[in-house]
Amino acid sequence: MKHQNETGQTRRDFLKRISIWIAATAGILASASLLRQFVPRRTLHQKRYKVGRKSDFPVNTFTYLADRQLYVYRDHEGIRALSAVCTHLGCIVEKSEQGFLCPCHGSCYDRDGHVLSGAAVKNLPWYAMYRDPDGQIVVDQGRLVDPDQKLYL
Amino acid sequence: MGAMRGEDTRREPDETRNRPGRINRNFFLHIHAARVHLHSLRTDYTFGLGIILGFLFAVMILTGVILLMNYTPSVERAYNSVKDIVFIVPGGRYIRNIHRWAAHAMVLVSFLHLVRVFFTGGYLGGRRLNWVFGVVILFLVMFMNFSGYLLPWDQLAYWAVTIGSNIAASFRELTDVLGITQVLDIGGFIKRLLIGDENVGQPALSRFFMLHVVFLPVTLMVFMGLHFWRIRKDGGISRPPDSNAPKLSSWPLVMWAELALLLMTVAVLLCMAFLFDAPLRQEANPAFPENPAKSPWYFLGVQELVSYSAFAGGVIIPLLFLAFLVSIPYVDREDRFTGIWFSGKQGGRITWQSALFALTVTLVLVFIFIRYGWLKNWFPAIPRVLVMLVNPATLSALLYVAWAKWIGDRTGSTRMSAISLFTCSLMGLVLFTAIGIWFRGPNWEFYWSHAQWPVF
Repeated sequence: MKHQNETGQTRRDFLKRISIWIAATAGILASASLLRQFVPRRTLHQKRYKVGRKSDFPVNTFTYLADRQLYVYRDHEGIRALSAVCTHLGCIVEKSEQGFLCPCHGSCYDRDGHVLSGAAVKNLPWYAMYRDPDGQIVVDQGRLVDPDQKLYL
Repeated sequence: MGAMRGEDTRREPDETRNRPGRINRNFFLHIHAARVHLHSLRTDYTFGLGIILGFLFAVMILTGVILLMNYTPSVERAYNSVKDIVFIVPGGRYIRNIHRWAAHAMVLVSFLHLVRVFFTGGYLGGRRLNWVFGVVILFLVMFMNFSGYLLPWDQLAYWAVTIGSNIAASFRELTDVLGITQVLDIGGFIKRLLIGDENVGQPALSRFFMLHVVFLPVTLMVFMGLHFWRIRKDGGISRPPDSNAPKLSSWPLVMWAELALLLMTVAVLLCMAFLFDAPLRQEANPAFPENPAKSPWYFLGVQELVSYSAFAGGVIIPLLFLAFLVSIPYVDREDRFTGIWFSGKQGGRITWQSALFALTVTLVLVFIFIRYGWLKNWFPAIPRVLVMLVNPATLSALLYVAWAKWIGDRTGSTRMSAISLFTCSLMGLVLFTAIGIWFRGPNWEFYWSHAQWPVF
């Protein structure tokens, strides 16, 4: 004998439908938790690091720190740090007459990192600098500063 | 009854002798229809491009498996293991060369196949879905190539993937304009998903190795299966509906034709691999990019586009092109001219007119860009959005669409409109690629020839 409710639905229909819903929900939740494995949770990218002592940087020069992809500029008053990573597509900018030039797609920046021409839409960022108690200079890529802000030495 | 049994016994020795042939035939006929239209065998119609692609893929798998035995996907070992393959493993250089040239051939032949199917109206009628599968295969092939060239871990590998992943991250240009990057950083998310970190490193190599060796080939196989299956379901490859050409038995005609193509494909690959070595640059150096940092030829069109704007050239225009390709069979619902090159005389005329139009428009825009600079040079204080959205590539695309619209209005035919837009896009792609290959030098500046490049 078939058990039907007012809408004509049998018990079997109901069980069939609810098992499909349960299976689908379980499937979606399981996939979602597995897909989370594709999102990296750990990075090798260091945001704060020591770059050396004041004496490591010649005066009135942009010194390129290859392993940090960073330009450090020291003048008679203080020291500043400029990212060497082109804001267009991530190549390393080179020193040029006007300031900086990206070899990959030709974006030009002035000596303050402002875009002059090319496909880049953002200026090169300047990073905050600190003095560590041990006398070394620390760069913090997590904090951006104005081009004229220096760590006075 | 007795007579039939007699016949059977008489045939038996013959059947046994033919057994290998029969088994062959069965496998062959498992993929092919038993009978084939004479039109489908015309080399001036298909050029055998689809089947060549199948053979190339088989070559890729075969050589890929051989290369896998000596390759190590680690940042420390990858470059040296490829060097070992080139300099120490007997025949390793040859196998690597074949793999390389087969990969390049796959990109080239995929595009030619797309062009052939488009201009012969091969996507009409029941073949609409198969066109979409074909477009998916084209993009899988491109992605296979992209993931493949990170693996040697040389300078080209490192900087090409750095640039590629930052193109994905260029969604930030959009979210920056909207001011929501802090909340919803789509670009950064896609980039991290792709390379597993902020910069290209071991996670990127592991991911690309997995994609190149497992995920993409398997996905490609699935779509190739679907593609072949649809061909049979759709009654063979496209042909003019009124062709009364006789149907022939596939065996052994098609077999001979395909065997000839296989031999030709392999012969060309072997010669290319013998004559030209696959390049291997210096080991990847995250501190200094090459100058110019050029990707392989098939991505130089996109590289030229991103040199105008990362987001517009690297994301918007490729996505629009993809959307256009997928939508062709669903927008053009005229089931006329299937199997006729350029849909007849009118289409042929519109094809070369469109090619000429695209050539002129794009060359003029690029000429202005190179000779006189662009918005940022003229108006230094111009808003970011305009730098991003207005450039030779987007303007070209806009003019192509306007032209196709005009053609569509003039002829009252979606088919003609589709032909003009397709021809324009193709012309644009070829032009930007040619500029990227031959006319760009250090700092991505314009040079008439390689001989004028400055010496560092």
